[in-house]
Amino acid sequence: MHVLANPRRFLAIAVPATPWCFWGGIALILAGCWAGLFVAPADYLQGHSFRILYIHVPAAWLGMGGWSGLTIAAIMQLVWRHPLASVAGRAIAVPGAIFTALCLATGSIWGRPTWGTWWEWDGRLTSMLLLLFLYIGYIALARSSVERGDAGGVSRVTAIYALIGALNLPVIHYSVVWWNSLHQAKSISIVRMSSSIDPSMLWPLGLTVLGFTLWFTAIVLLRMRAMLAENRIEARLRRMSRG
Amino acid sequence: MNPWPFVIAAYGLTFVATVATSLWAWQRARQAERRAADLLERD
Amino acid sequence: MVAVTSNRSGPKRKHQRLVLVLLALAAMIGGVLLAMSALRSQAAYFYTPAEALAAKVEPGRAIRLGGMVEAGSIKRHGDGTTVDFRLTDGEATVPATFTGITPDLFAENSGAVAEGAFGPDGVFRATNILAKHDERYMPREMEGIDYDPQTHQVDSSGQ
Repeated sequence: MHVLANPRRFLAIAVPATPWCFWGGIALILAGCWAGLFVAPADYLQGHSFRILYIHVPAAWLGMGGWSGLTIAAIMQLVWRHPLASVAGRAIAVPGAIFTALCLATGSIWGRPTWGTWWEWDGRLTSMLLLLFLYIGYIALARSSVERGDAGGVSRVTAIYALIGALNLPVIHYSVVWWNSLHQAKSISIVRMSSSIDPSMLWPLGLTVLGFTLWFTAIVLLRMRAMLAENRIEARLRRMSRG
Repeated sequence: MNPWPFVIAAYGLTFVATVATSLWAWQRARQAERRAADLLERD
Repeated sequence: MVAVTSNRSGPKRKHQRLVLVLLALAAMIGGVLLAMSALRSQAAYFYTPAEALAAKVEPGRAIRLGGMVEAGSIKRHGDGTTVDFRLTDGEATVPATFTGITPDLFAENSGAVAEGAFGPDGVFRATNILAKHDERYMPREMEGIDYDPQTHQVDSSGQ
């Protein structure tokens, strides 16, 4: 972990890794979407509308995984004062929010033909909407702390906010278990290595989840690279104006 | 109800968001890294 | 940066901060879990038939009732828009009636959530029906294969 503490060493890995993650991710996303749209058989009950699954699940995964990333970054910032942690937090927040919104939008589009409604205040839907609001709050807090010049990163208040927001993650996960919800229970159990999705319909989901995860990594690396370069520019300009 | 308009809308939305996020992230990183390199050269 | 924080970032201080952060996190998670289990019944999106009967929901009060549409219970009236059916959760069964267009996925042996209120005769008068689908996804030709939702195991021996 501390091997990456030095931004220069981080960049030595991040710069060559970015195009691999990006194009590898795009290739897997395209393959998975194609298979999900044209190869996988239609669902016995939902027909073709279930195909939204192949983008809805990765979007939900990235929205929740993004906040898990923010939480890890916040712990590294608060405990070890890791110099890259707050940069990583800022880099994750915006794409995480975009994919949380996308999860809500694709879910809504799916809900209309299957449930017969665009939106219901059910436990899963409501807790996911809360996650989007939490992201917006984080982005606003991070932006204001950067503008106040907290060494190119986010303030400790922002990191603590990320920790508190992490409490919503188990709520989202268990919302379909705790409460009678309109949203169905989970189909895949990683712990039990089992799935109630037929194998012929499951493998394209593996492709899109892996693809979107790789692509998301590339976006976070790109945003971190941009922020580190912007920090260098700002430091340089400050020295010049002083000098 | 014909499901395809819904499927196409969901995939279309995801496509637009993915492409827009990609272009934005690449462009910002390239621009910032190029400017940082230019400034360092002047040192 | 290093000079400013070096006096505050010795190994002992790091250890203390780690313990503090973890303690705070554990306390918060415990608090939320407690609050959620207390909220359990209040935050439920719908009543199951057994819950509705046990709670003695008074006639006319708007609630949501969710369960499986009982096999063989759907009766469509001559007007084409009124449908009678029964919702069950295995313990209790409630007769219901609805006038309007039902979702495509509304079918017998399939989940549904009805919004409406009980009439004085104990029949649930739905003003809106939502179809609820389960966590199974499978191709059409596999329909009817026994499936155990507890173990996620599909028993194909019955084919």
